[in-house]
Amino acid sequence: MAEYELDCLGEACPVPLVKTENKLKELAVGDTLIVIIDHSCALKNVPEWARKQNYDVEVEEIGDGEYEIFIDKTA
Amino acid sequence: MKLTTLSSNKHFQTWFKSPWTYVTGAILLSIFQIATIGSTGGSWGVTGPFATWGAWVYQAFGGSVDHWYFFSTESGQASLQRTFFTDPASVRNLGVIIGALLATLLASQFKFKKIKNLRQVAAAVIGGLLMGYGARIAFGCNIGALYSGISNLSVSGWVFALFMFAGAFIGSKLLVKYFMA
Repeated sequence: MAEYELDCLGEACPVPLVKTENKLKELAVGDTLIVIIDHSCALKNVPEWARKQNYDVEVEEIGDGEYEIFIDKTA
Repeated sequence: MKLTTLSSNKHFQTWFKSPWTYVTGAILLSIFQIATIGSTGGSWGVTGPFATWGAWVYQAFGGSVDHWYFFSTESGQASLQRTFFTDPASVRNLGVIIGALLATLLASQFKFKKIKNLRQVAAAVIGGLLMGYGARIAFGCNIGALYSGISNLSVSGWVFALFMFAGAFIGSKLLVKYFMA
């Protein structure tokens, strides 16, 4: 049940998405990945991709244009 | 009394905060393309004016582009006669920038993003130059040649699409190779 952070601030699409995909491969089932982004298109494609994998996803706005995407690797 | 903030308002979320769907975007782009053709007589293009702006600047310093092949067409010559505010495409480009700024301000998403490394700068500069140069020798970018081409039922738009996908494929391979570290 470990928690990992992935800092994608200042990175444009599709870098945050590819990084998220790679990082989640390394994680064990039950772990949580927090992806920090400030690119609006990552706000759309990262949660969309994660939900398609049937992971639990939650998005939290931490500042103007900055978001944390919580992804639980459920399976 | 329950305190409600603007950011938790349902309508604010729908209209300003959440990204609109691709279908909504496609419908709006289609409507605006029709409006563009109806009001200006030409299709939507973005990078064409960049060449015109370059020519205006060059002319302001005493240069002449009269004999350049690029400006030899009737529309090319006409564009040289216009000024920024009498050139629909130039004004539209300004509108795109103002509109994008307005949208990001309304969503409270405005932010100066930090530059992560020099590679980002190099990629942006090299990529920008290649895109600009490519768009001019192809007589259009992904808007003027692809989107407007296809919406005018031109085969050239589809040919452009085919090669743009090939370019995007190679580009994404390069991106994964150089930007994933």
